[in-house]
Amino acid sequence: MRTRQRSWLVLALITAIALVLSACAAPPAPSAAPAPAEPQAAPSEGGDQGITMALVIGVQGDAFYITMAKGAQDKAEELGVNLIVDGPPEWDAVKQTAIVDAMIARGVDVMAIAANDKQAMIEPLQRANDAGIKIISVDTFIGDGDYVNGPVTFPLSYIGSDNVEGGKIACEALIEAIGGQGKLYIQNTVPGVSTTDQREQGCKEEIDAVDGVELVGVDYNDDNSSKAAEQTTAVLQREPDLGGIFGTNLFSARGAAQAVSNAGLTGVVKIANFDAPESAIEDLRNNVVDLVIAQLPYQMGQVAVEYAVKAMEGDMDAIQPRFRTGYVIITRDNVDTEEAQKAIYKSE
Amino acid sequence: MSGNNPAHLMRTLSRIWAWLFLLALVIFFSLTGEGFFSLFNLQAIGANVAILLIMALGQTFVIISAGIDLSTGFVMGLASVAGAMAMTALPPGTPLPLIALTGLAVGLGVGLIPGLVNGLIIAKLKVPAFIVTLGMFGIARGAGFLLSGGMPLPVSIQGLGRIGNGYLFYYYPSQGLSFLNPPAGVTGVELRQVTGILPHPLTFAVILVLAAHWLLKHSRFGLHTYAIGGNQEAAIRAGIPVDRRTVALYMLSAGTAALAGVLYNMRFTNGAANSGEALLLDSIAAVVIGGASLFGGEGTIIGTVIGALIIAVIQNGLVILGINPFWQFVAVGVVIILAVLVDQAKEQVAS
Amino acid sequence: MDEQRREHPALQVVGLTKRFGGLTAVDNVDMEVYPGEVVGLIGDNGAGKSTLIKMISGVYRPDGGKIFLEGQETTFVSPLEARRLGVETIYQDLALCENLDATANIFLGREPMRRSLGLLKAVDRKHMLAESRSVLDRLDIHIPDLSRPIREMSGGQRQAVAIARAVYWNARLMIMDEPTAALGVPEQRKVLHLVHTLREQNVPVIIISHNLQDVFAVADRVVVMRRGKKVAERPIQETTMDELVSLMVGGSLLEE
Ligand SMILES: Nc1ncnc2c1ncn2[C@@H]1O[C@H](COP(=O)(O)OP(=O)(O)O)[C@@H](O)[C@H]1O
Ligand SMILES: [Mg+2]
Repeated sequence: MRTRQRSWLVLALITAIALVLSACAAPPAPSAAPAPAEPQAAPSEGGDQGITMALVIGVQGDAFYITMAKGAQDKAEELGVNLIVDGPPEWDAVKQTAIVDAMIARGVDVMAIAANDKQAMIEPLQRANDAGIKIISVDTFIGDGDYVNGPVTFPLSYIGSDNVEGGKIACEALIEAIGGQGKLYIQNTVPGVSTTDQREQGCKEEIDAVDGVELVGVDYNDDNSSKAAEQTTAVLQREPDLGGIFGTNLFSARGAAQAVSNAGLTGVVKIANFDAPESAIEDLRNNVVDLVIAQLPYQMGQVAVEYAVKAMEGDMDAIQPRFRTGYVIITRDNVDTEEAQKAIYKSE
Repeated sequence: MSGNNPAHLMRTLSRIWAWLFLLALVIFFSLTGEGFFSLFNLQAIGANVAILLIMALGQTFVIISAGIDLSTGFVMGLASVAGAMAMTALPPGTPLPLIALTGLAVGLGVGLIPGLVNGLIIAKLKVPAFIVTLGMFGIARGAGFLLSGGMPLPVSIQGLGRIGNGYLFYYYPSQGLSFLNPPAGVTGVELRQVTGILPHPLTFAVILVLAAHWLLKHSRFGLHTYAIGGNQEAAIRAGIPVDRRTVALYMLSAGTAALAGVLYNMRFTNGAANSGEALLLDSIAAVVIGGASLFGGEGTIIGTVIGALIIAVIQNGLVILGINPFWQFVAVGVVIILAVLVDQAKEQVAS
Repeated sequence: MDEQRREHPALQVVGLTKRFGGLTAVDNVDMEVYPGEVVGLIGDNGAGKSTLIKMISGVYRPDGGKIFLEGQETTFVSPLEARRLGVETIYQDLALCENLDATANIFLGREPMRRSLGLLKAVDRKHMLAESRSVLDRLDIHIPDLSRPIREMSGGQRQAVAIARAVYWNARLMIMDEPTAALGVPEQRKVLHLVHTLREQNVPVIIISHNLQDVFAVADRVVVMRRGKKVAERPIQETTMDELVSLMVGGSLLEE
């Protein structure tokens, strides 16, 4: 009899799910303007402007992108743009492509995207462009980021930090913190991500430019702090007189900091953390890291929406193919200033 | 035959529940999601699921044989790196079909090696498949990164991206259907009225699905796969060359993973060692949702197709509805458990 | 019988030995089976009967000794080879794939093929189904739905499938390990009848059974095993049930 009960239980479960689904489906869709002929060509209703814009972020749950989305949302409300924010649950070009295609299907007018891979996302975004969607890069770019001469020219603009510059600034500050000479080590995330690749490049350029500073190595941690810690521990073994570490993002710096603290070298080995979520600021206050380099994601989101509106209005001259957002360097000395506080990425 | 009712009902239900579930999902998203039920979107779902599905085909065979292949994700990555290296190494001016075939041959060839090694170790040294393929997971991953120098390898070859992103037919209102290429002379804004029909990845996947289905359902190899999964000892005593079959099974699994890698090359004009990392668990999930038993002996290709489509529809539909994508994991997880529950209920009613 | 004795034995094993770790499951056993002869192999549980026949059917590789099939020494490295040489076995555990149907089990490992789509070779299910029906009919066994997986069949039906599988392939030597264990009385009779038929066709049979009545009903000769050793061998006319029981359990002086 038990078995029979079990089978009915499953039947009941399936029925329940079916009911829930049909119940959800029952009320007519909120935007019930029937457009039976060509759903993708149908005009989407948005705000005052009638513009529907997608912001496809790099990955969900990241304070940087949350702050960017906030900036975009605030500007969208101001300008009356209907904004849809979405992004893959993990940093993966295949998953982000599925989102791009879904946005094409939804018939958005403009898509701002932080592409997960500079090469892999070219074709999917080309497809979106062919479907009549205006493409804007935010934070990361596709191709080489030069949308005027580069191999990829269809995106209207690349709005983002100059990460080479950012890497330079970070390592300049780091070199200063270690007294102008010594050994540096770079903890990077995943190769192939344009932003972190360039931070690494910028840092290397700065190191090359300064006499008496030597790069002992670069490791890739898959965006995983514990892996970064392992790698850093090994490097500290090999290079007992290491002066400083550049973590190209939060996870990298975190892992490096943990290894440094395990080795009892906190304060001796200086750590620069690229990106400024609240936890990085906490780390800064607790002497876990020594420098925090903040980008301006809020501004990126705002500019993206402004550009979307300009593009839809046909005002192409107002759109720069490259918009460089700046940086704020946060140290324990300036952390409480208004400028620094405004630059911190907020996670809600 | 009168047939006792719950048993009969359960058996029927266990056979068709995944279909019904998929249908329910499609109806639900069509009613609630703007743009879900459009030719473009449905084809996009098909094209986007192709890589995952192809990878799941070989896995279906392995799981039916009561094995598991955890290495497919990184075998795909390794094959994509090898394919990318081969294609970019060709002299400029090489005709596109030759480039594509070279990528295919090299990717497949390199991808088959881990499969051969997996199969030999599992068959001859009797090490559990879980362990061997977990080892190969790491080896293929490392090899892929070493080969590519840790970086994704761009394959910026003119026209290659069209193979992975193009359509078999294009429809343009004033010119009718054209084959393989958008109608000539249509440019700029007009291009936006062109409708693509049958994306190449989908066509490619459909061909492989048909081949895999035939192999499993009608060939001796397919029957032996079921026999090995049902009772390996009985298969041996019946005279089935189980060792040889095992090697072939893991080569098949690696082979479909490699084909997925080559398709990734064409679709994303890139070769990346970690390109398949996120797909491994999804591909196993597709097989399980499709009714295959991890204890072996059960499963079908059609089931795997349905399983993969359920995952793809959930992923696409939730985006269209603007629901936080972390729910994808939850939704797919619930479906996996549901699939196993249905299966267990069927077994218990049957016995 | 005497004329047959002068022929070559169909099967001869000499000094066959099998160890599992420290346990010697089969210890230096000699045995012959002549054409058209039915040999009953008996012994208490764990005496080594199944292990002995599994060496003959190629499942286990002997640790010592030799196997001759019709005078030729054979080294069965696999069941596949044993089956190729005409040794068919009904195993005590049946060795069926529970997830497959009766038809597939009967033909497992030797599926008939047909051309499909021009050059591909497909398993010929239709032929298999027709042949399965006919072999089951021949055995007078009724299985209503041959396309159901074995898992859904009764113990008797499963045993019937295992028997049908061995019978289908015109064996040169038939080995039956407890073939009637799961059967009802009418089906048991059918199996005994089958043994008679095989004997008439001059096919030698080794039958292992707990049921001494069955052994007396069909065997020409009995071989008794105890703790891995062959302890006695008797023409069936020259022994009694009581003698065999005491040989099996070792409680009697007769053995020495
Ligand atoms: N595969 C095996 N591994 C280890 N021991 C075994 C194996 N098969 C049989 N045995 C042991 O060998 C002895 C003989 O077993 P078996 O041949 O099955 O006896 P019988 O068929 O006469 O009951 C038993 O003690 C049994 O436990
Ligand atoms: Mg036995």
